[in-house]
Amino acid sequence: MRSSRPTKQHRLERGAKQARAAAPDRSSEKFALHLLRRTTFGITPDLRADVADAGGALAWLEQQFDPESIDDGTCSGALAAWPFATTDPQVNHATMGAGNATSMEDLVRATLARQIWSRRQLFEVMVDFWSNHLNITCPSGTVWATKAWDDIHVVRANALGRFEDMLQASVTSPAMLLYLNNAQSRGDAVNENYARELLELHTVGLGAGYQHRDIVNAARALSGLSVWDRSDKAAALSLGTFRYRAEWHYVGPVSVLGWSHPNGDAAGGVEVARSLIAYLARHPSTAERIARKLAVRFVRDHPSAALVRRLARVYLDSDTEIVPVLRALFTSDEFANAVGAKVRRPAEVVIAGWRALGAQPIPGWLNRNNAVAQLRWTLSEMGNAPLGWPLPDGYPDVAAAWKGAGLTLTAWNAHLTAATHRLNNGVLWPDLATHLLDGAVPTSWDGLVDTLTARLLPGQRVSPAHRAAFLAFLADAAGAADPGALRPQDLKALLPVLVALVLDSPYWSVR
Amino acid sequence: MTEPTDECQECTSARSVSRRRFLQAIGVTGAAVAAPSMFSAQAAFAAGPHRGPVLVVISLRGGMDGLSLVPPVGDPNYAKLRPSIAVPQRTAIPTDDPRFGLHPALAPLRPLWDSKRLSFVHAVASADTSRSHFNATAELERSAPGTNVHSGWLDRVLRVNGRNATFEAVALGTGGRPGHLVGESDVLTMRSLSSFTLAGPDTLCPAMAKALRALHSDPKAPQTSSAVATLTALDTVGTINAQRAKAGAPATAYPANSALGAALADAAALIRADVGLAALAVEIGGWDMHIALGNAGEGQFAALAGQVAAAIAAFAADLGKDFDRVNVVTMSEFGRRAGQNGSGGVDHGHGNAMLLAGGGLVGGKVHGRWPGLAKDDLDQGDLAATTDYRDVLAEFLVRRAGLGQNAVSVVFPNYKPRPVGAFRRPTA
Repeated sequence: MRSSRPTKQHRLERGAKQARAAAPDRSSEKFALHLLRRTTFGITPDLRADVADAGGALAWLEQQFDPESIDDGTCSGALAAWPFATTDPQVNHATMGAGNATSMEDLVRATLARQIWSRRQLFEVMVDFWSNHLNITCPSGTVWATKAWDDIHVVRANALGRFEDMLQASVTSPAMLLYLNNAQSRGDAVNENYARELLELHTVGLGAGYQHRDIVNAARALSGLSVWDRSDKAAALSLGTFRYRAEWHYVGPVSVLGWSHPNGDAAGGVEVARSLIAYLARHPSTAERIARKLAVRFVRDHPSAALVRRLARVYLDSDTEIVPVLRALFTSDEFANAVGAKVRRPAEVVIAGWRALGAQPIPGWLNRNNAVAQLRWTLSEMGNAPLGWPLPDGYPDVAAAWKGAGLTLTAWNAHLTAATHRLNNGVLWPDLATHLLDGAVPTSWDGLVDTLTARLLPGQRVSPAHRAAFLAFLADAAGAADPGALRPQDLKALLPVLVALVLDSPYWSVR
Repeated sequence: MTEPTDECQECTSARSVSRRRFLQAIGVTGAAVAAPSMFSAQAAFAAGPHRGPVLVVISLRGGMDGLSLVPPVGDPNYAKLRPSIAVPQRTAIPTDDPRFGLHPALAPLRPLWDSKRLSFVHAVASADTSRSHFNATAELERSAPGTNVHSGWLDRVLRVNGRNATFEAVALGTGGRPGHLVGESDVLTMRSLSSFTLAGPDTLCPAMAKALRALHSDPKAPQTSSAVATLTALDTVGTINAQRAKAGAPATAYPANSALGAALADAAALIRADVGLAALAVEIGGWDMHIALGNAGEGQFAALAGQVAAAIAAFAADLGKDFDRVNVVTMSEFGRRAGQNGSGGVDHGHGNAMLLAGGGLVGGKVHGRWPGLAKDDLDQGDLAATTDYRDVLAEFLVRRAGLGQNAVSVVFPNYKPRPVGAFRRPTA
């Protein structure tokens, strides 16, 4: 705690050079905390207990790879507040007017609640990862009835499964077909939007060397993949679900980046699209792209080419299975040697605060506009509400993309709001001293700072200058020249602000 | 980062545009866009004062009906297409152009019109024809159709400026970062000046600010530049707020209960404070008038347009002479259908009108080529678009902000803007 070493960030800058340091000890507390910061939305005492119960970090990781095995009752109870987070398009069409945002808003809030409360943390992190990889802006106009379906059947169904399965589900997802305009694409004048993003964002990426004719051919292969709408006579039972319109399918040979298909009749259009997706999912450029994105998410903003190559190989060798790739990633030396090398996105910063301060859903509370809904608007102000990125490429996950003055102030104020328990509609906040100091009244003010920072920043060393800054705040705030002269009764007023300052510190920004 | 070697003459000679910034703006560098070397914390502290005009972009969300804002009262088809909601010629504000009047709710803007500090561009649109709020908004704010550029156009303007000053771009009102500004430029977002404060107890805020400054002193830490900019902004805004509180209620009457009025009052305070502002983004929603749009003195449109007019008029009066270094532009994702629907409203359409106010205008005029409202002149039932938003914005960038054509081609990739004649050529 009283180290005179350079700040964490200085050391992080040198992280790459240290990659060849001594073999990491994966049974260490340091490794466990590192893994938890990367694979969850924030460390809690319960999470650390789960790791201990599992018998260590890597054993805990294996449990997380099998989310169904983890009891998630508390979180499930909280989700009852947002019943339309999981409703099918037909239900949404039957119960709301066109463009009604209820289902989309319920989904955003439920997603946020899961990130805060689910014990299946790695699963939620991967849901977030894939929701961004296959981004469908939510809320946004055309997907009002269908985004929830996509969340369940595309992303959640496959978040720890095979990428090919996810992409196959996505290509017949009404939300994706509507979002990227394929639902209106006709073979005689194709809409290229989906085909372009499929190649650029979902699979091989810009560097793969495809030409405009590849985009047009991909669009032709996808033409006819559409959605039942109100103008369809048989729509009553299938409104908003996938529909193949053979009459809109382009017929004739198509080829994309080395894949080709005779595409001889309109009846086989879906199979043509499926064949293209199977090809693209296994394309070496896709493998490298997914591997790189995972490495950027979990290791560092600029991962080594060697790591990316290795993960891409695992991806291809495992027939696009994601868990083997993650296992290779989390057991790599590059991962172990990247402690502190990632910066949290704004939403994670605030969500981690809720988790650390022990916010709990009040069982049976069914108010749709509860404190989680209010938090959702705070995250919107920070430009980082779950699922909310306005473009098809998903939220960026590198430090450089998240600068901004108003955003920082919103985070600081969100920490104050959490620490002073001001958002309490449906959410229970434990007493700060009880939760963070185990109820013990500190015998000294530097003891308070040390206990608090050790609890909120486990495994991170607070520099002497920053420790002094916390103590100077206490002295300033209480009008005392010497922090040692503070009175115990000041604790009640000062603790929430001190907690907020710890969450405002650079240490908290580290993932 | 390896840079491609296919040098483009235009790009490398672009004024104020480094090659990296150019590549970044057009998306060539892909994932490498975020290379930290480009975003050293130092840049945030190294801004010079802004000397150009202040661009105030007002987003009219929901699809503003340009045919009500600038009614083509001289076009015989106008009244026919809108039997109950056309603005009658006798109530429209005359414009000297027999083809057009102005909606009577714009009466507060009359002095600006007369002093040539107000004009309109008619039949303007983005390239998007989806009539979807979301798609059209996304495309308007991106303004890079047919390209892989994923940033907002105003973000690219800031990046070619390359100054990274704390107050260079401010988004007021929502607190969020509007689509025009999506990207990697530094933007200060705030709901309002008065709410831009630390939410701690008043007595503890000075000590908090001091602690925050001490916590964010490492120039290499990735969050330092944002934190320092925030602390600087808190100081500056605190000073402005204190001065306003001391001065009491402003002499200028901004419309009451108007988010736009409040945002423009804040905008005026920021402009007067000379904090280096180059771009301000504000917005006003509520334009999606499928029913009961109304015609002249009453109805939803008159109420909302009146609010916009009163807010801009107050903004101009509040700024006085400083209004000449401002340019207000309104943008909306699409116009409405030319013909009214069965509910006294208009459904989603395409061609729209754009309001321009401030200095350097060829003012008191309705610009743009008028396509007409005869059946064959309509574009699938909509006012046809004859001017792209980018034409107007590019003219502002060249004639008012002094950007070179090459920088403009970074802001609007793969697009050659056409002259509109809405901005005066610089005299000096």
